[in-house]
Amino acid sequence: MRKTIFLFIVGILFGGMAKAGGFQVGLQGQRQTGMGLLGTAYLKGPSSVFYNPGAMSFQENRFSTSIGMSPIVSTVSFQYEEPSLYEAKTDNPVSLPFSFYGSGKITEKLSAGVGIYTPYGSSTVWGDDWRGRHVIQDISLMSIYVQPTLSYQISERFGFGVGFVYAYGQVELNKGFPLQNSEGEEGSINLDGNTSSFGFNAGFYAQPVDRMEIGVTYRSEVLMEVENGDAAFSVPTSLKESFPPENKFDAELPLPASVNLGASYRFTDKFKLGVDVNYVFWSSYESLDFDFEENTESLEDLSQPKNYENGFIYRIGGEYFVNEMWTFRAGFYYDSPVANDEYYAPETPDAVKLGYTGGLSFAPNENLSIDASILFVQGLERTADYKPENFGGTYKYNAIVPGLGINYHF
Amino acid sequence: MKRILTLFITTTFIFACEPEIDDYEPSSGDADFSTYVALGNSLTAGVMNGELYLSGQQNSYPSILADKFANVGGGDFKQPLMKDDYVGNRLVLDSVHGCKDTTLAPAPAQENPDPQNFTDIAGQGPFNNMGVPGAKSFHLLTKGYGQANPYFGRFMSDANTTVLADAMKVNPTFFTMWIGNRDVLGYAMAGGEANSITEQQIYSGVLDSLLQKLTSEGAKGAIANIPDVTDIPFFNTIPYNALSLSQEEAGQLREAYQQYNQGAQAAGVDTLSFQEGANALVIEDNSAPYNEIGGMRQIKENELVLLDIPLDSVKCHGMGSEYPVPEEYVLDEEEISKISQAVNGYNQTITAMADQFNLAKVDMAATMKEAKESGLRYDGVGYTTEFISGKLFSLDGIHLTGQGYAIVANKFISAINAQYNAEIPTVSVTEYSGIQFP
Repeated sequence: MRKTIFLFIVGILFGGMAKAGGFQVGLQGQRQTGMGLLGTAYLKGPSSVFYNPGAMSFQENRFSTSIGMSPIVSTVSFQYEEPSLYEAKTDNPVSLPFSFYGSGKITEKLSAGVGIYTPYGSSTVWGDDWRGRHVIQDISLMSIYVQPTLSYQISERFGFGVGFVYAYGQVELNKGFPLQNSEGEEGSINLDGNTSSFGFNAGFYAQPVDRMEIGVTYRSEVLMEVENGDAAFSVPTSLKESFPPENKFDAELPLPASVNLGASYRFTDKFKLGVDVNYVFWSSYESLDFDFEENTESLEDLSQPKNYENGFIYRIGGEYFVNEMWTFRAGFYYDSPVANDEYYAPETPDAVKLGYTGGLSFAPNENLSIDASILFVQGLERTADYKPENFGGTYKYNAIVPGLGINYHF
Repeated sequence: MKRILTLFITTTFIFACEPEIDDYEPSSGDADFSTYVALGNSLTAGVMNGELYLSGQQNSYPSILADKFANVGGGDFKQPLMKDDYVGNRLVLDSVHGCKDTTLAPAPAQENPDPQNFTDIAGQGPFNNMGVPGAKSFHLLTKGYGQANPYFGRFMSDANTTVLADAMKVNPTFFTMWIGNRDVLGYAMAGGEANSITEQQIYSGVLDSLLQKLTSEGAKGAIANIPDVTDIPFFNTIPYNALSLSQEEAGQLREAYQQYNQGAQAAGVDTLSFQEGANALVIEDNSAPYNEIGGMRQIKENELVLLDIPLDSVKCHGMGSEYPVPEEYVLDEEEISKISQAVNGYNQTITAMADQFNLAKVDMAATMKEAKESGLRYDGVGYTTEFISGKLFSLDGIHLTGQGYAIVANKFISAINAQYNAEIPTVSVTEYSGIQFP
């Protein structure tokens, strides 16, 4: 019976047309990272602030805190649309998503906490001279969320929590500009801006029967509106008037909302397994538009249509509790593309991504644990175009993300 | 435990490496690219910015093609290169001081021509790029053509040879041909006042002889058709209503042309009219009935003003207003229709002969039409037939930029791949030279 239910759930989760991807980063806790990055219904320390605020009030400890970091080492390979011998590889810098959480009990039933984490970001460097340079040379997107949170345990089996999100975001991109000077060198555009915005993260969490947890959360969209970003144009001297060198721009970037459902079950004292499904509302990312403060006859606003589609991520992961000191974890997720085949821009690697995770915790005493995780992301080969710019080919992504964190509670 | 560790290390190693994508394999298909020869005119020779010069030739479409053919068995490709860029008539973008304002415009490069560019280099031959600036179709079969055209004279194998005979000297296994543009362009660039259009019958006969000879030893090839010359910037940059008038100037012109207008009314043709703002230029027309009333009229919206019209004369010295624009700067309706007819005829011949000789046909006419109507786009860069800003045409408004020639090369490659089941790699257009701004 148990097996039937499990297969049924898996069937539902993997059944539909699955999409997610984009520039979401799922690395908000080392323990969750170790098991397929799931945590909607899997009580696992103070990172509940992010994964499910409703679960926070179920913490047994009076106070707990965790801090962790997961450097992402990623590469995208590219082969220009056949027939062509052109190949390129990204030279991405190591990006550093991090998380910090603290939560404590105010009363037996009411908990308060705060999280600082980086849910969206991407750093893609194709280089100044690659063939797609007029589409993108490099882009860096970064966001930091600060989330004060309250969680209330309504009954013995049911909790609710909500967090207010303050988000800070930064975007910088460079692209080649196809105007040559008398030496035959091309110009370039640099766009750099930052902004802040607000949102929320709310969740229900329940333990309907012993050993079982279920949960649902909703994380709102955070709309990043950049005003007065810096737009710098490097063009031949004779064209400076047409391209004001110290221009400004406005732009809008949605960090999409998501609905997350999860369930977990402790099959034995030693073994617990969970599943999560995330539905991410990427369709709000229709286009990335740069509205320049000063337009000239030669300088029009930039519009890059994205036409993303909403998407799913499916996760499965579990833990094996060896003894009081050691816990091992493993997991897997399936994350599929949100950009369609005609709007695949090289700035965001987007493909069916398979995540294989592993992790462990070592608890030298009952208050402290050291958590390590490793995530391997395998992007499946994808052939796609960015039609508006007539640039396309075959892309393949992979990443390796080691992570380390410390968890302290009393 | 040890096994888990091994698995972990192996996985890490795999993911630490960069992801590999299967390479694509170039292939020559049913054609043999080992010896390639290109025939044509200035577009084939690599003329750019009004002149044939070294760095332009290095961006000629045959040389770009040869570079890609090298991936499918192509051998050496020898061009009759100029010694340097200082040949004489090269245009560059510069500040040009007009009578009213200073603008960024094409101007002769401030450089002394290097006479060594025309020294005889026949000894370095035979050559694979047999594109000769100025050549019309029948010139390729004309004995001693090199004596009349120094651009061929400098590399012809002997004084009485033909372009075709010299092309055959390399024993081509593959050829490209793009000939016929000049057969109408000479006429078009003279405003229809000099230089005649090659007759259809002659064109067909010449093309047949050329292809018979070229394919006689089993060579395969590709042939490009002729774009509508009226799509190119030389004929499309100066608007028909380039005459800009103040209210006062318009009034003065109305007064000055009172007598003409009476005559026009009597003859039953349109009178001259002038308003504040943009006005149709007054052009010379000595055909009936205009010859009776002063030999002039206002230009029609569908007629074309040539790029080489002296704009200062229009802006400050009364050309096109106080006196008519000379005929050599204008293509009127009748001339345009003659040109279109000829081009259509040539293109029908090209299509038929491509079929007959089993050649790849490159539809450059369609490409140019597309560039004009909706623009072309390669790797994030847009190309149109707009003068200068369109990036496709160089500063003379007739010949292409390096990037323009790369687009031509890509069109050849696509057609060749389709015709001969080949997999020749395409060209990265943006790697080649564009318009250079000071």
